[in-house]
Amino acid sequence: MTTTRNRILTHGLRYLLLAMAAFVMVYPFLYMVSTSFKTRSLSLGDPTSLWPSEPTLANYADVLSTENFVRYFLNSAAVAVVSTTLIVLLAAMMAYAFARLDWPGKRVFFSLIIVGLTIPTMMLIIPQFLLARDLHLLNSLPGLVPFYVGTALAFNTFLLAGFFEQIPYELDEAMAIDGAGPWRRFWNLAMPLSKPAIGTCVIFAFLGTWDEFAWALTVLNDVDNRTLPIAIALFQGQHSTSWGLVFAASLIAIVPVLIIYIVFQRNFVAGLTTGALKN
Amino acid sequence: MSISQMPAVAPQTAGRGTRRSRPRVAAAGPRRATRAAYAFVLPGFALYALIMLYPAVQTLLLSFRDWQIVPGTPSPWVGLDNYIRAFHDPVFLDSLVNSAAYTAFTVPLQIIIGLGLAVLLDAKLPGRVAFRVLFYLPVVTSWVVVSLLFQYIFQSGDGVANHVVVDILGLSDSNINWFQNRWTGMFAIGVLGVWKGVGWAMLIFLAALTAVPNELKEAASLDGANAGQRFRYVSLPAIRGALSVVFILLFIGGFNVFISVLLMTGGGPGNATQVPLTYMYQQAFKFLDFGYGSAISFALTALVLAASALQYWWTRRRMAD
Amino acid sequence: MKHWKTGIAAVAAIASLSVAGCSSSSEQSPSASGTAGGDTLTGTVTYWHAYSADSPEVSTLEDTIIPAFEKLHPGVTVEDVPVPYDELHQKLVTAVAGEQLPDLVRADIGWVPELANLGVLEPVSDTMPDFQDLADKVFPGTLATNLWKGTYYGLPLDTNTRVMLYDASFFEKAGVAVPTTVDQLKAAAPALKSAGAYAFADNGASGWNVLPWIWSAGGDITDADVTKSTGYLNSAASVKGVQTLVDLFNSGYMPDIILGGEGGLATSDGLATNKYATILDGPWMYPIFAGQYPDFTVSASQVPAGDGGSISVVGGEDIVLTKQSQNKEAAMEFMRYLLSEDAQLAMAKVGQMPVLSDLGDQLSAINAYYAPFVEQLQTAKPRPVTPAWTQIDTILQDEIRAAFRGEKTVQEALDSAASQADVLLAEYN
Repeated sequence: MTTTRNRILTHGLRYLLLAMAAFVMVYPFLYMVSTSFKTRSLSLGDPTSLWPSEPTLANYADVLSTENFVRYFLNSAAVAVVSTTLIVLLAAMMAYAFARLDWPGKRVFFSLIIVGLTIPTMMLIIPQFLLARDLHLLNSLPGLVPFYVGTALAFNTFLLAGFFEQIPYELDEAMAIDGAGPWRRFWNLAMPLSKPAIGTCVIFAFLGTWDEFAWALTVLNDVDNRTLPIAIALFQGQHSTSWGLVFAASLIAIVPVLIIYIVFQRNFVAGLTTGALKN
Repeated sequence: MSISQMPAVAPQTAGRGTRRSRPRVAAAGPRRATRAAYAFVLPGFALYALIMLYPAVQTLLLSFRDWQIVPGTPSPWVGLDNYIRAFHDPVFLDSLVNSAAYTAFTVPLQIIIGLGLAVLLDAKLPGRVAFRVLFYLPVVTSWVVVSLLFQYIFQSGDGVANHVVVDILGLSDSNINWFQNRWTGMFAIGVLGVWKGVGWAMLIFLAALTAVPNELKEAASLDGANAGQRFRYVSLPAIRGALSVVFILLFIGGFNVFISVLLMTGGGPGNATQVPLTYMYQQAFKFLDFGYGSAISFALTALVLAASALQYWWTRRRMAD
Repeated sequence: MKHWKTGIAAVAAIASLSVAGCSSSSEQSPSASGTAGGDTLTGTVTYWHAYSADSPEVSTLEDTIIPAFEKLHPGVTVEDVPVPYDELHQKLVTAVAGEQLPDLVRADIGWVPELANLGVLEPVSDTMPDFQDLADKVFPGTLATNLWKGTYYGLPLDTNTRVMLYDASFFEKAGVAVPTTVDQLKAAAPALKSAGAYAFADNGASGWNVLPWIWSAGGDITDADVTKSTGYLNSAASVKGVQTLVDLFNSGYMPDIILGGEGGLATSDGLATNKYATILDGPWMYPIFAGQYPDFTVSASQVPAGDGGSISVVGGEDIVLTKQSQNKEAAMEFMRYLLSEDAQLAMAKVGQMPVLSDLGDQLSAINAYYAPFVEQLQTAKPRPVTPAWTQIDTILQDEIRAAFRGEKTVQEALDSAASQADVLLAEYN
């Protein structure tokens, strides 16, 4: 039947396009993986030879046995998990208020959020450093959390507000008629229906805090307190860098981020709002 | 008065095609709604104000002084001198052009490719998860590693880029020295930006696409619409909100590009590929001229805000049709 | 709240000094560091450095040097904080603004005048009683990097310089004698080209790269007091030095990596693969070659001599003590220990050349490749010691690169650089 043939053609075309795009996207990553299995990597080899001639796990062994590497990994994990939870919660609350409620001063507050999107954070480092010092949050791992959350709120609030906008108002009205206040409507309506948005938020928030380098380096001194990006940067030397080590460490660092991504992208399932209108 | 006071977010009742009549649900009494709203907003906003707005104000004040970093040293007030200097500074002005070009190049590409990938991955394709992961990999790879690889790809000898341009596409007779010229250098940085950002845009579009109720798509196809038409008339309007969000964020991100330029060219050769933030970093942290560095970043912020406001106002006018 | 802490520290410092004086006869340390009465020092000393993780330098520091020091002074704990090299300067700047500097920093020599000018460094030539003894033991060129407006703000810690590296077997095959002067290098270039290599390669045009050529030609960047540049940077000798390079480049005997722009063939890779005949580089290259190109044997000789002789540029790091340190006595003691023969030789074993001038013979025993560097260090000079150097360096590189690209003549480039440098130098004089 022509429909089946059409289906196969469409599917085949899709796969072809996707595969080509995927190859381009993934090639530098494959190169990273390949170099991480080579020992003599002070200079990068030929980029077209992806398969290492003498693959070895030495770089990974070296990285994992480097003093404090595992500890830095766990430090980053703790900070990232706590920060992500707070970011998603606070941003969702703010986004809900901006998107679904009407109140005096909303425009002013939202404009201030937009302003936060445009401010380059690099420039704020010194005033923020002085602030951290005055709040006695220097050199402390938990002290990173307020700063990570504060700097991520503008972006995530803006993102979530856009998504919360899409939920049909009829549902809100239906619940309000049933006597549900804003808080109930937030938890039982907006959040469940926005699973893709919340998932996106979790993914971005986690990635942002996991990868953050400049602030952590500025504020943390105690060698025990450091986070993973600092550990990876330390593998780069002043005169030479063993790229195999750096790449191996970077790949180890990518694993949690990918796990979070895979887990939360399961929310991107079509038809979440299907049937909601009927209720 | 509709809820679209918010910049660039289009209200839409999916599929209904009409403007909503009642903008929002009234809670029991306006006071209770206000109290509830503030309860939602204040915790996050307070933290945000402390961590972002307060230091931003301090940085702004700093830009009006010849600021000395050692505490206790007098920092004389210079008023708008730093700003006047910035707008007469050819390096700063060129850097604005560079970041504008970078934005113009990377934003449309990221949106088109990101949206295209999201559409392809929206269907129930076996292996879809694997593809989603693969496209997201560039986003999670660290900038240091990626810049290194792209420097290698765009090297002046027989690198991958030269191989493609000279041998495969035949666009040039001899190897291009990518990082020796302003525009080839910016192009390489732009390619890196697109490569790294596509997965990010794809993610947001995927999330938006999955929120489109299936019934609407089914109804459209029952009406005889093919895939392209379904996309144009059902999905696209539904994700207009996401499109605006992505556009604004990418636009701001484009002008604020920093780390990739710092790592790829450092602004060189000789300031040719400077963007405002790398120039700011050099002035503030290398030359210790923090007053001037702050002025540069606030000048940039003001310009980006003005541009975003213009874009929002223009979109709102389109919405009103 | 800070005042009483400073007060107690001061009292403790004075007390420890007097006690040390009393008990010096009973407690003599066996090592050559010459300290006495060390067990009265207490507290923590924080030390920021940029030795990379997993490197032999950091393991020598943490497993050999610090434990030995702590054994001599059981009351003192040294906390070393490794900071990635590319970020150390930024972290220092932020720490200055927030008054969060550590006790000691292993600072790039170029940062010392800048930090001294900011007023955050301890003037050790005034406050360290045995400063002159220590100063007499080190290479004069390395000591000079700590001088700012008549006072010394630190001591040298490790040094290095650039010498000419080449592949002896390649020169043999090409039938060319290894050049010892600039003229010989220029003469040999065509023959080297036919053998398939560029005569010389370098990856930048900043002070570190071009100063050996300028100085060896008899030129200079500034006057001796570092007050002005015009008349020195654009003198005939300086122009001749830079012109040598530009001529080589224009004749196709130098690759274009000197223009910057990453991604080209690195100097080390080019030398090992015989694409570059000579490069200028430092002692760290030997372990790198050994690791990356084990079949390659590198040889070294002095920088090609010009009318001014063979003069290279001094690099390295200084150890500085911050004014806000709460534990200056112990920190100074650690500084002394780092300059002791034991510590310096321990670091020499892992590629960090010592600054003590009388260790020459022992050095060659540790690493045979140190000999040409020691010889070059006898005459090597530091880059101009001024806080304006970072900016002047950037200007110098931009102007010279413009000359390479043919946008201006070397004379024009150096004229422009000199006048811009004058303006910057005037701010500090």
